[in-house]
Amino acid sequence: MSAANEQTQVYQFPEDEPLILGNPTFKDVTNRVLGVLEAKAPRGWWLSLFAAASLAAVLFGMIGWLFWEGIGVWGVNVPVGWGWAIVNFVFWVGIGHAGTLISAILFLLRQKWRTSINRFAEAMTLFAVICALVFPGIHVGRVWAVYWMFPLPNQMAMWPNFRSPLLWDVFAVSTYFTCSLLFWYVGLVPDLATMRDRATSTIRKKIFGLLSLGWRGGNRQWKHYEVAYLLLAGISTPLVLSVHSVVSTDFATSVIPGWHTTIFPPYFVAGAIFSGFAMVMTLAIITRKVYGLEDYITDNHMEKMVKIMMLTGMMVGLAYGTEFFIAWYSGNPYEAFALHNRAFGPYAWAYWIMVSCNVILPQLFWIKKLRRNIPVLFVGSLLVNVGMWFERFVIVVTSLHRDYLPANWDYYKPTIFDIGTFVGSFGLFLTLFLLFIRFLPMIAISEVKNVLPAADPHNYEGHHGSEEKHASGDLGMEGAKS
Amino acid sequence: MSSIKEKQALQDKEYWRSLNELADTDRFRDFLEHEFPEGADEAPDSMSRRTFVKIMGASVAMATLIGCRKPMEKIVPYLSAPEERVLGKPEYYATTMQLGLNAYGLLVESHEGRPTKVEGNDLHRSNRGGTNTFMQGAILSLYDPDRSKFHLHNGVSSSWAEFVEAWRSLFTSYSENDGEGLAVLSASLISPTMNRLRKEFLKTFPKAKWVAYDPVHEENRVKGLEIAYGEKLLGENHFEKADIVLSLDSDFMRMELDDVSNAKGYAERRSVKTSHDTMNRLYVAEGVFSLTGTNADHRLKIHSSEIGAFTIAVAHELGKHGVEVPGVSGVSANAFEFDKKWISALAKDLVKHKGKSLVVAGARQPAEVHALVASINEALGNAGQTVSYHKADDLTLSNSEDLSSLVADMKSGKVETLALFGTNPLYDTPRKLDFKSALKKVKNSISFNDFADESASECNWHVPRAHFMESWGDARAIDGSLSIVQPLIRPLYSGHMDVEFAKLLASGEDVRGYDIVRESWTNILNVDMLGTEWDRTLHDGVLINSGSSGSSPRLNAGGIRSSLNSLIKVAAVSRDSMEVVFYPSYSTFDGRYANVGWLQELPDPVTKVVWDNPVVMSPETAKHFKVGIGDMVEIEFQGNKLPIPVYVMPGWIDNCLGLELGYARQAKMRVGGDVGFNTYLLRDSNVSFIGTGAKIRKIGGSYLIAQTQEHGAMEGRPILREATLEEYSHGPHFFPKETIPPHKNSLWEDHKYDTGYQWGMTIDLNSCIGCNACAVACMSENNIPLVGKEQVANGREMNWIRIDRYFVSDVEHPKVAHQPVPCMHCEMAPCEQVCPVAATVHDAEGLNVMTYNRCIGTRYCSNNCPYKVRRFNFFNYTKETPEIVKMAMNPEVTVRSRGVMEKCSYCNQRINRARQEAKQEGREIRDGDVITACQQGCPTNAISFGNINDPHSEISQMKSSDRNYSLLGELNTRPRTTYLAKLRNPNPEIEPPQDRMPKEEHNGTHGSNGHNGAGGHH
Repeated sequence: MSAANEQTQVYQFPEDEPLILGNPTFKDVTNRVLGVLEAKAPRGWWLSLFAAASLAAVLFGMIGWLFWEGIGVWGVNVPVGWGWAIVNFVFWVGIGHAGTLISAILFLLRQKWRTSINRFAEAMTLFAVICALVFPGIHVGRVWAVYWMFPLPNQMAMWPNFRSPLLWDVFAVSTYFTCSLLFWYVGLVPDLATMRDRATSTIRKKIFGLLSLGWRGGNRQWKHYEVAYLLLAGISTPLVLSVHSVVSTDFATSVIPGWHTTIFPPYFVAGAIFSGFAMVMTLAIITRKVYGLEDYITDNHMEKMVKIMMLTGMMVGLAYGTEFFIAWYSGNPYEAFALHNRAFGPYAWAYWIMVSCNVILPQLFWIKKLRRNIPVLFVGSLLVNVGMWFERFVIVVTSLHRDYLPANWDYYKPTIFDIGTFVGSFGLFLTLFLLFIRFLPMIAISEVKNVLPAADPHNYEGHHGSEEKHASGDLGMEGAKS
Repeated sequence: MSSIKEKQALQDKEYWRSLNELADTDRFRDFLEHEFPEGADEAPDSMSRRTFVKIMGASVAMATLIGCRKPMEKIVPYLSAPEERVLGKPEYYATTMQLGLNAYGLLVESHEGRPTKVEGNDLHRSNRGGTNTFMQGAILSLYDPDRSKFHLHNGVSSSWAEFVEAWRSLFTSYSENDGEGLAVLSASLISPTMNRLRKEFLKTFPKAKWVAYDPVHEENRVKGLEIAYGEKLLGENHFEKADIVLSLDSDFMRMELDDVSNAKGYAERRSVKTSHDTMNRLYVAEGVFSLTGTNADHRLKIHSSEIGAFTIAVAHELGKHGVEVPGVSGVSANAFEFDKKWISALAKDLVKHKGKSLVVAGARQPAEVHALVASINEALGNAGQTVSYHKADDLTLSNSEDLSSLVADMKSGKVETLALFGTNPLYDTPRKLDFKSALKKVKNSISFNDFADESASECNWHVPRAHFMESWGDARAIDGSLSIVQPLIRPLYSGHMDVEFAKLLASGEDVRGYDIVRESWTNILNVDMLGTEWDRTLHDGVLINSGSSGSSPRLNAGGIRSSLNSLIKVAAVSRDSMEVVFYPSYSTFDGRYANVGWLQELPDPVTKVVWDNPVVMSPETAKHFKVGIGDMVEIEFQGNKLPIPVYVMPGWIDNCLGLELGYARQAKMRVGGDVGFNTYLLRDSNVSFIGTGAKIRKIGGSYLIAQTQEHGAMEGRPILREATLEEYSHGPHFFPKETIPPHKNSLWEDHKYDTGYQWGMTIDLNSCIGCNACAVACMSENNIPLVGKEQVANGREMNWIRIDRYFVSDVEHPKVAHQPVPCMHCEMAPCEQVCPVAATVHDAEGLNVMTYNRCIGTRYCSNNCPYKVRRFNFFNYTKETPEIVKMAMNPEVTVRSRGVMEKCSYCNQRINRARQEAKQEGREIRDGDVITACQQGCPTNAISFGNINDPHSEISQMKSSDRNYSLLGELNTRPRTTYLAKLRNPNPEIEPPQDRMPKEEHNGTHGSNGHNGAGGHH
C-alpha cells in the first residue's frame, strides 16, 4: 500500500472529517482492539452467547426432526415446492454480499473508510454464507444423498446435470465461500501475528503462531502480502456479482410466471448488497455500542453505508417497477396475472411489507439528519432486512402458489418447523459472530493503522503534532467491560 | 459343529431355515452322499475337510446376514408349479361384483395367486370392459386388515363349527314350528343361487320371514314400473341409441342402476370423429348437482321434491306438440312455475326425436315419477328402442315396508331369531326406526358380515363373511345375463361365502360353496354340456347370450293417472322449511366402502371434497345463513338433529340440503371409522331420499374440509377448450388458436424422436364424464400411497392423474367441464432441465422417466412443471402400511419411499410387458398391445394411448383430429399427452348461438383462502 503520496485524499473524508476519531497512536489502536480480546469476557457476552447458542440449538433440533420425519414437517406442498428454506437460503446469501463487497470492491475503488468495518463485515459474510449453505443441504428429500449434487466420480459414471441452475448454485456459492474465506484469512494474518506477539499464555502463542503463518512484518512480507491481497480482491470482485446472479437463475431459467424474468441477475445483486449493508449496519451499531468503539466505527461510516443502501434500495425499487412494466408490455397474460396476484392476491400483505421496507423506507435517508441518527439507522437497517426477506418470500411463494393451471392453485402456510429453522439460523449466525468478536480482532488493526494520520511518514513534521496525545484517556479497557 | 447349532438356536427359526440346511451336517449328509459319494464315507463326528469348508461357508453366510438391516423373508418355490403359471407373469380371472342390483363383470389380475388389479370384463354387458371407482376399489377392500377375522359368540371368540352346531339346534326347533319367529334380513339378492336358497329356506320354514333392505335402494323404480305395467320389471337404458336424453334428478352416469353401461352408451352416442358427425343432447333437471348434471348441455335447477310436478308439466307440453302421454290428463302442474321456454324447447326436441330419445328418472324420485317416465317413454316410442324392460320376478328386492313390519314384529317380540345376512341395520337404517331397541328384544341374533360392525356388536353371534373375491357365487344383470362369481384367493381370514351361509340357514347343511353354485348351474346350463359350458362360462365370467332383449309389457294408463296426484301435493320449499336430499357417496356408496382408503381419498367428482360428507348448499342459502365452507350448522329434520359442516356448491338449488350417506362408521375401521358425519340419523322411517321441512341453524365452530381443488375458474386461460357442435360443424377454428413456438433457438440439439416407438396419449374431453375411474385405476396399478385428510388439505395428494373441474359461466348456473391431467411427457420437459442430479430424464421412446433411486428430492422439477403433475413423498407414506395391504401392491411397480418425486409413467411396466411379449413372439408391439391403467379403467373410452410414430395407430388418428390441442403448448413443452376439445350441444332455442361464449368467467368455487375475482384475464 503506497498511500504516502496522496495525503489529504487518503487520510480524510472530503468533508475533512477524520476516519478515526480521537487521533489514536498505533499503540492505542492495538491496545484498543486487542484489549477487548485479552480481557475477561464480559458477562453480557456470555449471556448473548448463551441466548444465541440456544437458538442455534433450536436450529439443530429442527433439522434433526426434519431428518427424522421428512420434508413434510414443513408447510411446503404442490404447487409450492419451495418454502421458507429457499427463502432463507437466498436471504442469507444476499446478506453474505456486503462483506466481500466492502473488502474487495471498495478496496479496489480506494474507499479508505472501509477499513473500520471490513473485518467484521467479512466475518459476517462468512457466517451468513454458512447459514445459507445449511438450507440447500437440508431442504432435499433425501439428505443422505445430497452429495450427488457434486461432480464426484462414482460407479454409475453419472455426472450431475449441468443444465440445472441448482448445480450452478453449488459451484457459485462454494466458490464464493472459499474465496471469501481466503480473503478474510489473508487479511487477518498481520493481526494474528500481533496477537501472537502479545500472547501471554503458551497455548495462545502456539495457536496464533500457527495461524499467523510466520508473519514477522518485514518489508518483503508486506510487499507480498499487499500483492496477494490485491489479487484476492480482484478475484473476489466478479464473485460478488456472480454469486447472486447465479442464485437468481434458479428462478430466472424456469418457466414459472414471476420467476421467468431476465432482470433477475442485476436485481438480485442489488438486493443482496442492499440487505448485506443493512446487516453490517445492524451489527456495527450493536458492536460499537457494546464495546464503545464509536471512534473507530464512526457516524461517518454509517452515513457512507446508508448512502449505498439508498442507492441499492432504489435499484431494487426500479426492478419492482420494471417487472410490472414488462408484465404489461409483454402482453403475456400469465405474467400479468402473476404480478397482479403479487400485489393484490392472497399474499398482497407480504408484497406491501416488501415495498414499504425496501422502497419507501430508504427515502427517509435523503435527510442528512436521519442518516446520522443512530436509532433511526438501527431500526431502518432491521426493517430493510425484514423487507428483503419478504422480497424473497414474495418471489418464491407467490409465484408458485398460483401458476398456469388454476386447478392447482393452493395456499402455503409455514409450520412451526419452518419458523423454528429460520429463527434458529439467526442463532447459528449470532453464535458464530459472538465467537468471532471474542477470539479474533473485529477491526482490522493493520488496516486501520494505515489510515491514521500517524501512518503518514510526514505526519510528525507538521501541524498534526499537537493533537497527538489527545484521545488516549478514554481508550482504556473500561469500555470493553460495559 | 455344535457351536453353530447353538448360534442358530438363538436366532429366529424361519430366519435361519435355509442356513440350517446349509450347515446342518446331519440333514445335509444325505444330499452329500448322493452328490459326492466318495466323501460321504468319512466319520460324521470328526471334522473333515469337507465339513470344515461347509461350516466356514455357512459362517460367512451367517455373518453377512447378521449385517443385513432389512428383515429376511423366505421365498418358497413351488413344489410343482401350477399349469401355465410363469413367475412374474400375471394371470387374469373373470369374476362378478355385485353392488345393489348391479352385477359388474370383472377381470382380475393375479400375481402368483394374489389378486392385485381389477379390470372390466369386455364380455360382460354391464360394463363392456369399463369400470367404475367401486370396482377398482374392490382390491383394497379384499385386503382390508379390519375385516372380521373371528367368529364371535356373545363377544367371545368362537368358531364356524360351533356356530354350525348352534344353528343346527335352532334349525331343529324351528323345523317343528315352520319357522315361526325366524327372520332373515338381507340385502337385495340378484344371484340365482341365493334366490334359490332363499326359496329353499322359505320352503323349510314357511312361516319365517326373509326381508331385503338396501339403504340405497331401487324400490321406487321397481314400484313405478309396477304401477305403469302391473308387473315387476327393471328398465335397461340404451343410451347409445338416444339422441335426446332427459335426466330427471338422475345421476345415471355414475350412481344409478347400470351406471357403467349407461356412461358407455352415453359416451358412444356423444363421440364425434369429424365435424360432420352428430351427437346426443343431454337435458338435466335436478336440484343437487350430480356428476351427470355437470355433463349436461342444459341443466335446469328444480327441487328434487318438485321433479314429479315438473315431469307432469313436460308430459303436458309433449301433448301440445302432438304426443299424448297416457295417464296425465286431468292432472295439472300449473301451480308450479317452471321455465316455460326450457320445457317447450325440450318437448319439441323430444318429439322431433321420437323413438330416439330417452327420459330417465333417479332412484331417489318417488315411484309415481318412474311410472310417468315409463309412460312418457312409451308415448315417445322409446320403449323397446332406447329402453327395454326385463322381468325381475326372480330377484329379491329391497322393500322398506317389509323392513318396517319386521322392526314392528321384533319390537312386539314376534321375532325370536334374526339373521342379519350381510346387512348392518344398526348403522344404515333410519334412526327413526330404532332398530337398536328392536334388536334387543330378539333372543337369538346372528350377524353375518364383512366386519364386526355396528350391528355385530349387538348380536349374539357374529360370523365373518368372505369377500366376493374369496367366494363362489353367481349374479344376474338387469337384462338377465348370468355371470359367475369366482374366487381368486382362499379366504384370507375365517370368512364364509354367502352361498354357504345361506345353505346352512336353509338346510342346516355345511356344504362347500363351489358345490352349491354348481348345483344351481346344473339347472341353468344344458346338463349334457355342463362340463364344457361351465368351464367356458367360468373362463368368460359370463354366460354368453343369457340376457334377454326385453319383454313388451302393456302400459296401464289408469294406474298412472290415479297415482299422479301425490306428485303435485308437495310441501313448498323455503328457508324455514328446507328440502333434504339423501344420496349415496361417490366414495363410500352407502358406507360399505368406508374403509377403502383409495375411495376415501378420491375427491368427490363435483365438490372435490375428500374424506368427508359436509352438507352441501347453494351460495345463496349459505349467504342467508351467514355460513361458509367448514362452518358448523345443525340440521333438524323430523325431530332428529345433526351437527355437520357446510360446503357451498355453485349450481346447487337454493334451500336444499344435500346429505351424502355412508360416513361416520362406528365400527373398528382404521380408515373409515369416525370419518365424516352419519346422515342416516336424519332419514325418515320410510327410507325416502327426499324430504321437506328441515331447518338449519349456525352453531359456531369450524371444521377442516379438505379439497383437492380450490379454484374453479379458468381465469380466461385457454386450458379447457370447447365449442358447440354447431360451431364445430363450421370447422375447427372455433377453438382458441394455439400458438406453438417454432422448434428453433434451442440451446442444445433437440432429439428428433422419429424412430422406434414413440408413446403418446390423447384425452377426449368430449367423452370424459369426470367419473374418477381412471384415478383409482392408476392408484391401484401404480401403488400410489394414501396420505390422509390433513395432507390433502395441505396440498399433498398423490394422485398421478387428477381430474380438474372448471366452472364456466355464472355461479347460479355454472357449466362444468372435467379435464383429467396426467403427466404430459413433454418432449421439451421443464422438469428434466432443472433436476441437478438428472433423476428425471427422457428415454428414446419419448417417455419422461423418473429414476427414483437417483432422486434426492429438491422438488425443483415440481416447481418448474407448468402442469404440476409431479407428486412428492413428503413423508414415508407407506411406512405404516399393514402387511396384508402390501398384498394389494403391484409387484411390477416400485413402492416409493420418503423424499422422492413421483408421477405418471405412462404405465411403463405395461409397455415393458408388451415389449417382452412382442420380443418373445418375434414381432413389433402392435397397436393396442399397450393399454394404460387409466385407459383401461375408463368407462367412456376417453383415453387413447399408443405409438405416435405409427401413422396407422389409433393414437395417430386421434392426434390428427382437428380438435386435438396441447395444454399450454405455447410454452414449447411439446407435450405427448394432448387433448381433444370438448363439444357442447345446446338447443338454439334455449341458448341462442351468440349467447354461448361466456362473456366473463366467473370464479365458481373457492377454498377457505378466498379468491381474487378481479385477477387474471386482463
